[in-house]
Amino acid sequence: MQPYELSLAAAAQEIRVRRLSPVELVDSVLNRIERVEPHVAAYVAVFADQARRTAREAEREAAQGSFRGPLHGIPVGLKDMIDVVGVSTTASSRTRAGHRAASDSTVAARLRAAGAILMGKTHTHEFAYGLTTPQTNNAWDRGRVAGGSSGGSAVAVASGAATFALGTDTGGSIRVPATLNGVVGLKPTYGLVPRHGVTSLSWSLDHVGPITRTVDDTALVLAALVGHDPRDPASVAVPGVDYRPHSDPDLTGVRVGVPRNYYFAHVDADVEAAVRRAVARLEALGARLIEIDIPMTRYIQAVQWGLMVPEATAYHESTLRTVPELYQADVRILLEAGELMGAGDYLRAQRARTLMREEWSRVLEEVDVIAAPAVPMAAVPSGQETVTWPDGTVESVSDAYVRLSSPANITGVPALSVPVGHDAAGMPIGMQLLGRPFAERTLLRVGHAYERTQSARSLAPLP
Amino acid sequence: MSSADITPPEAARWAARAGLPLPDDRHSAIAATADHIHSVVAVLRELNFGETPPASAFRAEKEKHDAAV
Repeated sequence: MQPYELSLAAAAQEIRVRRLSPVELVDSVLNRIERVEPHVAAYVAVFADQARRTAREAEREAAQGSFRGPLHGIPVGLKDMIDVVGVSTTASSRTRAGHRAASDSTVAARLRAAGAILMGKTHTHEFAYGLTTPQTNNAWDRGRVAGGSSGGSAVAVASGAATFALGTDTGGSIRVPATLNGVVGLKPTYGLVPRHGVTSLSWSLDHVGPITRTVDDTALVLAALVGHDPRDPASVAVPGVDYRPHSDPDLTGVRVGVPRNYYFAHVDADVEAAVRRAVARLEALGARLIEIDIPMTRYIQAVQWGLMVPEATAYHESTLRTVPELYQADVRILLEAGELMGAGDYLRAQRARTLMREEWSRVLEEVDVIAAPAVPMAAVPSGQETVTWPDGTVESVSDAYVRLSSPANITGVPALSVPVGHDAAGMPIGMQLLGRPFAERTLLRVGHAYERTQSARSLAPLP
Repeated sequence: MSSADITPPEAARWAARAGLPLPDDRHSAIAATADHIHSVVAVLRELNFGETPPASAFRAEKEKHDAAV
């Protein structure tokens, strides 16, 4: 096994016992980047020299017996919405030409302090306003979409071009690409991970979180990211928690809610079958399955759009008036049309969100987690605009990818996506686990227990 | 086209009122997109909100910028 193939936890262990140096690991990942980038285009920019320099420092510290923790010497890719001092945060947009971040975002600073080594900035759908990331190719099939908007981060992790990555998630932008590329994605509880220094799409829906190869890895990254930062007005101070799941996969006493409605409607048959098999696996591990009804489903898309559209337009107000021609066509028209939404629509969305949060919290009193598909279908061929369901309903690909993710953005509850198989075309399928606010530990416990029943996941089958 | 749909000239006028002058060749596409967004969010009018406040809130006290890394 090459160092770039190691999970974060495995690499950390090798570094800790000095069987692997951060220099070897970073070199291995840089070589892998060189090999796979022509096929996947996950990165906006790779900082090879800086990464090697930082790796040598990490190696010197290790030689002195000084370890910063499990991220010491671990290569990371950051979605190019996340500020890193001195380099451009392009948001994969021409409107950001010449941008230079004046300081680190909170998450970049925390990862740096924890010893992680920045390999580069990864592609996003422009300003995170889309679900495909057209610049980047799926790690499993370069003719299919990467998913978005954190497509570059997910593809980098899936292809061995980063040991882990960070993404942002406003309507599914961590979980969708993680699922489509067969890796793990966590949208933490709203307010758990500070967003200071992260370019916004929609303030009231934006989250930052990890994309990793295993659930155990997610726990290690999350521990480094949490902590109150008053520079993000949504940031919440919560007591320190050991997120790392126990190795014992026993789920006795855990109540798993299985939705009767919404999450299994208009879902590809292979996706439904794989997720139901995974749910049965949870039951075999001791969990009690309880059928639940998802509340207010008729209003989910309306609330998501009612919040996101005007907030995104407000964020881009200035640039939309000075350099509109520099936006991609799909993003520009949404920003422009957002100018025509009235305050009444926005306030209705905010009031409906209050109702939805109350209803969801009632459901989450009955169960500890909800298990459901992460996305309705695996990665579609690039350029495919719509999907037609067996009842004749036609849905845009973007709407379909957002559909099962956005409830967690609206309500703020944590949501973890975990790979649970492949469809007939060999493309990855994901299960989504949703829980009570700040119950990330429970999601990680359940996700990890499932993962331990499966054989170790390999990287995407690239050259 | 329903009576609630906006015409391309109306889209241009509303955008201008919002401070965004639109080139002529964009009026139709933006009107269509705005109508689609409207059709999605309009279902919220079915809800009886009663005393329900919006979810947005803030803390009155200004916090100090003392974030630990």
